[in-house]
Amino acid sequence: MGGFLASRFMSDVFNGVANGIIFSLIALSLVVVWQSTNVLNFAQGAMATFATYIGMTQVEHGINIWLCMVISVVVGFIFGGLTERVLIRPLYGKPDINPIVVMVGFLGFLQFLAAAIWGNIPRILPSPFSQVFYTSKGHTIFLSPFVVFQILTAVTVMMIVALVFRFTTLGLKLRAAALAPEVARLLGVRVDRLLTFGWMISSAVGSFTAILVAMQNGSALSPSVMGSVFIFGFIAAAVGGLDSPIGAVVGGLLIGLVEQFTLDYWQANMAPVMALVVLIVVLMIRPRGLFTKNTQRRV
Amino acid sequence: MLRPNFHRLPTTSRWIVILGVTATALGFTFTFNAGLNAQIASGAAISIVVLGLTWLTGWSGQISLGNSGFMACGGYFVGVWANHHAATPLVISLLFATAAGALGGLILAVPATRLRGPYLAGATLAFATVTSSLVYVFGNWTGGPTSQLFLNSLTTPSWFARMFSGIQASLNSSAQYGADLAICVAAIAFLFMSNLFHSRLGRAMTLVRDNDVSAELMGINLRRTRTIAFVIAAALGGLGGGLQTLLNGSVTPGSFPLTISITLLTLMVLGGIGTLTGAVLGGLIFAVSSNVINWLCSTAGISSTSNLGTNMQGIVFSVLLMTTMLIAPQGISGNILRGYRHLMQRFTSKIDNSPA
Repeated sequence: MGGFLASRFMSDVFNGVANGIIFSLIALSLVVVWQSTNVLNFAQGAMATFATYIGMTQVEHGINIWLCMVISVVVGFIFGGLTERVLIRPLYGKPDINPIVVMVGFLGFLQFLAAAIWGNIPRILPSPFSQVFYTSKGHTIFLSPFVVFQILTAVTVMMIVALVFRFTTLGLKLRAAALAPEVARLLGVRVDRLLTFGWMISSAVGSFTAILVAMQNGSALSPSVMGSVFIFGFIAAAVGGLDSPIGAVVGGLLIGLVEQFTLDYWQANMAPVMALVVLIVVLMIRPRGLFTKNTQRRV
Repeated sequence: MLRPNFHRLPTTSRWIVILGVTATALGFTFTFNAGLNAQIASGAAISIVVLGLTWLTGWSGQISLGNSGFMACGGYFVGVWANHHAATPLVISLLFATAAGALGGLILAVPATRLRGPYLAGATLAFATVTSSLVYVFGNWTGGPTSQLFLNSLTTPSWFARMFSGIQASLNSSAQYGADLAICVAAIAFLFMSNLFHSRLGRAMTLVRDNDVSAELMGINLRRTRTIAFVIAAALGGLGGGLQTLLNGSVTPGSFPLTISITLLTLMVLGGIGTLTGAVLGGLIFAVSSNVINWLCSTAGISSTSNLGTNMQGIVFSVLLMTTMLIAPQGISGNILRGYRHLMQRFTSKIDNSPA
């Protein structure tokens, strides 16, 4: 058993899932925002990095790491709401291009501002769990306590989001606000508040993801730490379909595994290229992603 | 004076305006010092890329965040080619850069023309990221991560210098030659595009942008039209990237970072989406931006080497991009146009109302 778990194939699977679950989380946060406001948040990665900087630099002041993580997520939560109110609200009903341009501008602003405040030198964050891989009968299994923590918490976050959306009144209102804002408003749902709330959830999930990314082995907190993660998160969301939370999770895992196997069996630089190839192939076959029900185009 | 609705002018007037602006710009380069000329040169190069982006976004309605990828296509082609064939004439090099960009655009157009809005923006962004990986994948060809390709420095050909002052070359600084060259190349690109904006294809493009169903009913092939738009924008991106590589004398994977895409977007939106005037203004803003930022920093007492100082340009550009889009999405040229119309309306309505 130990031999099989330590095999090249299984270690690729472990690594692929560990990376893929990160992409899934980002994709999920993009989908939550897309579903409620039809805006693709290009600044998701930068917002998350900014919130993580605010929270995690408190470690240097001797504050408990778990508390710092909570601070980051809370900051992300508030940050998402502010962004929606200030930047996105004036853009509802405008052409597609306006929110895209504003969010790209916001991405640049946050990234440069983070570099201006905290510098470009990466900061290595302490990890709450050991990053040393498990061994079984002399074989190294490519799983460490931290990776297990990462996968378990990611799954927990996904479950919470799914449960809130599926089984609570709040979730029902959120879905109603996204699906039919006019009708929901007539039925007494405060649609604009819920849209803000959707952004807050999304941003909090993003911040949590950024913490995991920055804590990973060989990674550190830098202003552009989420740059490529965001791109792959977007690819995952687009592959799964921007309307589908399940698609986001599946897409993330798919992209993670594709990248890991390309990296191991071909070469590291081909990994992003293969992710783009997957995106192109999927979008050529189904332009709205794998898990979206086909909607009728206007005639 | 460049009128905001410039592309509606008759052909001859447009040519006269473009040639007049070019001649004026060329004249100014004789009075500028080398540093300013280098900035003018890079501004002219970037205005070509902005021109492609404004055509793609403003006229065909397809947003692209991947134009830094097209620049990399052109830049790397010029770099690699010049390393093997150093004696290649400039014109040929630039044509190759254009072709390399166009090829990149053609490849990206296959999936991109099927996508709309945010899907398209994200896919092109991913393309721009991947181009830098491809530089590493073909490392033994492109020079990979560390090794830079140093080209022959851009010096004035003697025949060109002689045109200006008999035997002795008056164009002694190659920075001025670089600026003149970049302005001329940009002028050719603008002439070409001003005709294209006016052509059958240009009109078809705006119809595809505004109402694709009626365009299809008119017998316009949507995918073909969108592909052509992409290829032209990419060709201009390649040309701009190639020109910039020639001006810099080197190309590295860091030459065309993703932040260039944000800069391009800012210049386009600031100038005014979908206008030639906007692209010119964008290039001009880019050329003077570093001076303005330095002045801003020194007035505010910020050291140019501090964290804030080095990131000031990025912060200012991003803020300008956001605020322009939120407050005045038409940009400079669009708002001048609106102000002009407002003024005329006021003027005429006053005359109309005066007898009553």
